[in-house]
Amino acid sequence: MSVWKTNDPEVKKILYIQTHGEKDPERTATPFFLATAAAAMDNEVAIYFTMNGPQCVAKGNGEKIVIPRKGGNGRELKFFIDQAVEIGVRLLVCQPSLDLHGYTMDDMIEGVEMIGGAAFNDMACDADAVIGF
Amino acid sequence: MDVLKEDQVLDCSGMLCPMPVVKTSKAIKTLEVGQVLKMIATDPGAPPDMEAWSRQTGNELLRSTQEDGKFVFYIRRSK
Repeated sequence: MSVWKTNDPEVKKILYIQTHGEKDPERTATPFFLATAAAAMDNEVAIYFTMNGPQCVAKGNGEKIVIPRKGGNGRELKFFIDQAVEIGVRLLVCQPSLDLHGYTMDDMIEGVEMIGGAAFNDMACDADAVIGF
Repeated sequence: MDVLKEDQVLDCSGMLCPMPVVKTSKAIKTLEVGQVLKMIATDPGAPPDMEAWSRQTGNELLRSTQEDGKFVFYIRRSK
């Protein structure tokens, strides 16, 4: 059984991969808003957070990570996370990349799901597009 | 140009990508099949975005124009 939920061949499945976190705030928002746009096009969409990616979905970091903007007035990452979650984008992590930061699932914001490397690869093979950041 | 009559207006002026697409996606689901949504946006990415969105979702982009510096779209809910 795939982690993907749809059986409808007309629904495309897009998997985003986010490897960046706190050190690179300018690289954190894009996967969320592209995933949001994809979900608004009635696709099934997930973001897999690995390497430093889980920092994006750790509790409190949505408020702490601010996307810089020339001239100031950067926006908190939380805005982009909330937008994605609201439209049904799924947020996935794996255990080794949580261990890397000393996180447990309790440190993750609500809705984050745990998968493993096999499930990830299975999702990738099944996806219509896999996009890495 | 033929006169198109909308059943609902959605003003996305001032909103940036991906908000016009997100709002359009939500608004179209509140219409009946066959009804028309008029969407107004100022995001310069909106014309290609709405074309792609329509193609992907199967809703019909009846018209895409520029009026007074704003982009205006008429979309018919098709399914």
